[in-house]
Amino acid sequence: MKIAVISCIHGNYEALNEVLLDIDRHQVEQIYCLGDLVGYGPYPNAVVEMIRSLDIPTCQGCWDEDVVEGLNACECSYPSLLAEKRGRLAHEWTNQEIHPETRSFLAQLPLSLRDGNLCFVHGSPHSQHEYMLPDMHAFTAMERVLATGADTLFCGHTHIPYVRQLESGQLQVRVSSGQSSQRPNQQTSNFSAPLKRIVNAGSVGEPRHGRTNATYVLYDAETEQVTLREVEYDYQKTCAAIVEKGLPSIFAWRLARGLEFAERADDPTHVCER
Amino acid sequence: MVIWAILSGIEGNLAAYEAVLADIKRQRQPVEELYILGDIIAATPASANVIQRIRSPRDHEPEPQVCRGWWEEQLLILHGSGRTGEPTELIEYYGAEQVKALWDAIPRSTVNWIQSLDFGFFELDCLLIHGSTVSVSDELTPNTPPIQMLDRLMRMDANYLFCGRSGLTFQYEIQQGSITSSVTTLDHTAPPQATLVKPRQVIGVGNVGRIPGQATYTLYNPYANQVEFRTVRYGPRKGFQSI
Repeated sequence: MKIAVISCIHGNYEALNEVLLDIDRHQVEQIYCLGDLVGYGPYPNAVVEMIRSLDIPTCQGCWDEDVVEGLNACECSYPSLLAEKRGRLAHEWTNQEIHPETRSFLAQLPLSLRDGNLCFVHGSPHSQHEYMLPDMHAFTAMERVLATGADTLFCGHTHIPYVRQLESGQLQVRVSSGQSSQRPNQQTSNFSAPLKRIVNAGSVGEPRHGRTNATYVLYDAETEQVTLREVEYDYQKTCAAIVEKGLPSIFAWRLARGLEFAERADDPTHVCER
Repeated sequence: MVIWAILSGIEGNLAAYEAVLADIKRQRQPVEELYILGDIIAATPASANVIQRIRSPRDHEPEPQVCRGWWEEQLLILHGSGRTGEPTELIEYYGAEQVKALWDAIPRSTVNWIQSLDFGFFELDCLLIHGSTVSVSDELTPNTPPIQMLDRLMRMDANYLFCGRSGLTFQYEIQQGSITSSVTTLDHTAPPQATLVKPRQVIGVGNVGRIPGQATYTLYNPYANQVEFRTVRYGPRKGFQSI
């Protein structure tokens, strides 16, 4: 079975349309979406309506959560203060723009999805706000996959697609328990982890890999082959709509470059502790 | 030689705390730092006496450094300043009646002090915390999977993590490890890279007040990395004293 995984559409209807056409051309049997349907972009309602009408299983992203729950995350929810300032403006705009049925749809999204040995989350299994970057410590990355019980973990949130293979993981531990008056009970054991994979689906509507194309992934369940896809779309149309609808023009600027410099600042691994 | 005393879980048991303080005083090497890793209170009015005692150390006693524990977190939830809105865990573990008991047990005048407590301490290469880097509720035990232990250590890049949530005394050493990782992006494929793990430890520091008549705590020499678990028996049943 061939599946497509899309993420981080961020109200970019033009990009979503073009990605869905590309998916159509690859005879995909199932599409999964990793959330962040809204935020930054000009068409949050249209994007949600499209996902809902196509009955695409979707998990909740951090933006979807914030629009539903209110922006109650602490500032470390954003990787930098600059990103937070811009994010707040986008949040306020989106919050006013979305229809009640859009909000209701976002509210009922699950935090994760499972399909056999595949697991789908927005950020990480522990938090929608955690960035699983490709250079995350390999054991930390392995822990995130093992926490799901799956063999392959699909995530988004960073807006940059990658495939990471983790193998030959082993740890040697010695555990002593007991009290001073007793002989401690000491045990040595070895832990080994099987082959695991993390697949980041990139971003349909707000790519940050250095080009303007939308990104998503194809996965062949038979061969376990992952294909990172880049899809051209009329990003200028979305940029114009961002400006026209009164969203901060910085979002159009970065969409036209496929970059977000603010996200490179501070500590992207830090997670809000609500 | 610098010695730290690290304890957790007094849980409103002043006699147990006094017994531990007395044991600390008896040490041949003087204890310079006293860390209390949360759960100084429980749903008992005696908790107020423990708070008072901790905040007023006597002459020649080390000034206790206290961080927030699970019980403190439950209290703050009741007062609207916890990390969640509802005391779900308190009700789940101890029943709904304990909500009122905890509310009544702790004087309002001390809530601000409890709120000011740190989440944990990072001293030298040691993280001292009640639960773990994840939350006060995260219970690390000798049976916690190694990958989870390593994750908790690496979240703060600590070589030693002292915790008290389980109430157990244990020393969990990650002696060595390795893993191979390769990353493919749209633009290139990086060759597989091996990552090695340096030795790190999680230490369960015991529990002072939960078991009547028996307190456990930990002494640590941060320069020699020596851990010693102490068991202190106290009260009328101690030794050969009559009941």
